[in-house]
Amino acid sequence: MSRRSRLSRWVLAGYCVYLILPLYWLLTLALRSNADIAGVFELVPSNPTLANFAEILTNPVWYQGFVNSISYVLLNTLISVSVALPAAYVFSRYRFLGDRQLFFWLLTNRMAPPAVFLLPFFQLYSSIGLFDTPLAVALAHCLFTVPLSVWILEGFMSGVPTEIDDMARIDGHSFWFFFTRIFLPINRSAIGVTVFFCFMFSWVELLLARTLTGSEAKPIVVVMTRTVSASGMDWGVLAAASVFTVLPGILVVWFVRQHLVKGFALGRV
Amino acid sequence: MQLAQWVGSINRSVILVAAVLGLGACGESNEAAKTAAQADVDYAANAAQWIDAEFQPSTLSRDQQLEEMAWFTQAAAPYRGMTINVVSETLTTHQYESETLAQAFFAVTGIRVNHDLIQEGDVIEKLQTQMQSGENIFDAYVNDSDLIGTHSRYGYVVALSDFMAAEGADVTSPTLDLDDFIGLSFTTGPDGKVYQLPDQQFANLYWFRHDWFSDPQLKQRFEQRYGYPLGVPVNWSAYEDIAEFFSVHVGEIDGQKVYGHMDYGKKDPSLGWRFTDAWLSMAGAGDKGIPNGLPVDEWGIRVEQCRPVGSSITRGGAANAPAAVYALQKYIDWLKAYAPEQAPGMTFSEAGPVPAQGQIAQQIFWYTTFTADMIKPDLPVVNADGSPKWRMAPSPHGPYWEEGMKLGYQDTGSWTLLSSTPLERRKAAWLYAQFVTAKTVSLKKTLVGLTPFRDSDIRSQAMTDMAPKLGGLVEFYRSPARTAWTPTGTNVPDYPKLAQLWWANVANAVSGQVTAQAAMDSLATQQDRVLARLQRHGALGDCGPALNEERDAQYWLDQPGAPKPALANEKPQGQTVDYETLLASWVRAAGEQAGAQMD
Repeated sequence: MSRRSRLSRWVLAGYCVYLILPLYWLLTLALRSNADIAGVFELVPSNPTLANFAEILTNPVWYQGFVNSISYVLLNTLISVSVALPAAYVFSRYRFLGDRQLFFWLLTNRMAPPAVFLLPFFQLYSSIGLFDTPLAVALAHCLFTVPLSVWILEGFMSGVPTEIDDMARIDGHSFWFFFTRIFLPINRSAIGVTVFFCFMFSWVELLLARTLTGSEAKPIVVVMTRTVSASGMDWGVLAAASVFTVLPGILVVWFVRQHLVKGFALGRV
Repeated sequence: MQLAQWVGSINRSVILVAAVLGLGACGESNEAAKTAAQADVDYAANAAQWIDAEFQPSTLSRDQQLEEMAWFTQAAAPYRGMTINVVSETLTTHQYESETLAQAFFAVTGIRVNHDLIQEGDVIEKLQTQMQSGENIFDAYVNDSDLIGTHSRYGYVVALSDFMAAEGADVTSPTLDLDDFIGLSFTTGPDGKVYQLPDQQFANLYWFRHDWFSDPQLKQRFEQRYGYPLGVPVNWSAYEDIAEFFSVHVGEIDGQKVYGHMDYGKKDPSLGWRFTDAWLSMAGAGDKGIPNGLPVDEWGIRVEQCRPVGSSITRGGAANAPAAVYALQKYIDWLKAYAPEQAPGMTFSEAGPVPAQGQIAQQIFWYTTFTADMIKPDLPVVNADGSPKWRMAPSPHGPYWEEGMKLGYQDTGSWTLLSSTPLERRKAAWLYAQFVTAKTVSLKKTLVGLTPFRDSDIRSQAMTDMAPKLGGLVEFYRSPARTAWTPTGTNVPDYPKLAQLWWANVANAVSGQVTAQAAMDSLATQQDRVLARLQRHGALGDCGPALNEERDAQYWLDQPGAPKPALANEKPQGQTVDYETLLASWVRAAGEQAGAQMD
């Protein structure tokens, strides 16, 4: 093996360690007691404990937080993708009055920081009784995820030749058949990438999720704040909760990984 | 492509989305069915069961407990089947309420309570959102009494004195015994009305390693070097000497590096508490007066009648007066010279558990909320028999401090009701607030959370029995000295807006970007700017700010009281007191006080 390739292997290995270290550290913190964490520096926990994970799994407040978060994230992803698919198709296939402006306007929604919308959303949802429901957070997140989805999907769909549409029509297929059985499967990768981005935005967003919920639909990111108190920080439980919050992201990546790789490779994101 | 076909498919998508939206709205619980099921519940039997299984010990007899619970059952009858939402910060005490007392309340009254626990900052944020929007988010909040000046001025908070006398009379417990709450003066506004009901209370005290302070060899070395005995420091000079003694001259005990001081200094909002939680009053920056200095308090804010008139020295305030600058400078000097190397990079939460690791000899600014974590077995600061190697004692005071001034921080998390909460829900929440502070449950709650708030509990036999394990907590609360520890008072008209100015300015001084004097000047100017804005806004009523005209600083320094002119010698002779002598004097004074009350 040449010296150069050996060097590149070392660099690669170093980079992997660099990426994995925070995750490894999170996991070791989750396996240690608070006294242990604050007391000694250890690379490998000498007295590992599952008490922190037990707290998360047995306390209804904790797992309810996960359930709440997952429900609004799924709701948001579903709404965003199902609204963005037809919209992106129209933008990719039709020219109509103001189409470019409308398309750009969608993007401008992404330019405003979420904090700008806090008060209007809060008042709106309170007045129609949606405050403190997963739907409120899902809809609020749609303001950001729908434009994003339309942009991602439009890019992919424009890359699909219009001849395919024509061929389907000539073959006598209905539009619905063409769209669901021919067009969507072609854009599988695009949908995978879109789902990934919607999920990730909604999962990690704190500001809107915190403001639009009280006690019923409280997301996990808010529940995590209870580890900070006037008697110090509950590092172990916080780390255990963080480990659990990483899992859904890993699961999403796992399920859409094939599409994701293709999607990213096409360079449309 | 056929447009009609396309529109048709879009329609189908819309229906799909609408169906998804509809799903979200199906979460309503069937309250009516629950109410019907509750009609047959034997609340008296439930109460008896809870009293026997959980609410022991108590300062009430079993019959008195049953009677008190029977009142709750009867008063709650109109609200049975309701579900209310209340919120508090995360503390062991509130955890106990959320997990145990909320269940007991449901068993005794039939009212379901979601007692939410979130970070203190988030509680304030929800409270502010509700105050400003008028939308009911929570039916009651446990909020620190530091906000009393804010609550009593803005008019969003229900004055409990009025509520108990009028619309809340039928849900106010006859056994509430308001005078028994030791923090009641903290939750009383300048108008004499009670705005909040104390729920838990903790103090900021001096913490030290009693075992090292009793070591004859160390005692001898200290006395030889400094000319007075090693003991609980009475003034900051002694604290500084002891800090230097352990960090510089002792250096190591049993092969382990030791430090004479612990603190924190990271640029973080928690750095603000290090100052607004009465640090300036310990130095002696404010005026005499309990619970807070009048006319100038420990935030350096001067009031006339109840109107804040300024915090700069040029307006009669003391936020940038010599005593305040001295307080900041000493904090920085000690942090850099005597605390562990990592301390300046730590936040409140990170620094809190450090003394429990066994390398710290003393800490001038220590919260009693850490007590429970400091008495766990196997810690380096706990003896084999479970007794602590450490003690807590009154905080030492700076050279500007005078007799009759507050000497430290004590805070009471208190039930706060907002006028934007619908009356029925507010009444149900008020019942819960009284339940978790009722004498039937309060002693047990105190033993669990170690945040005593009722005088009767503090004087109970159960607390006497527990005292040896708590390192002086019980003795402090029983002592008459306790009244010199108080929270932020009524001089501060808008706690959230003013509190956020502190940490950034302090951090600039810690990092050395500006001098202590410049940091406090900037802070005082910013505070005055906020006060001026509140004055222009005019929403704070008769006790809103009305700034003094600026005039020469010397004018105000020449007046009696704060702002006080600089002392020629800011490090007088160090003074210490023997811990056991101090304890004995407390016990004696407490006895005399009890005797006087009986007369």
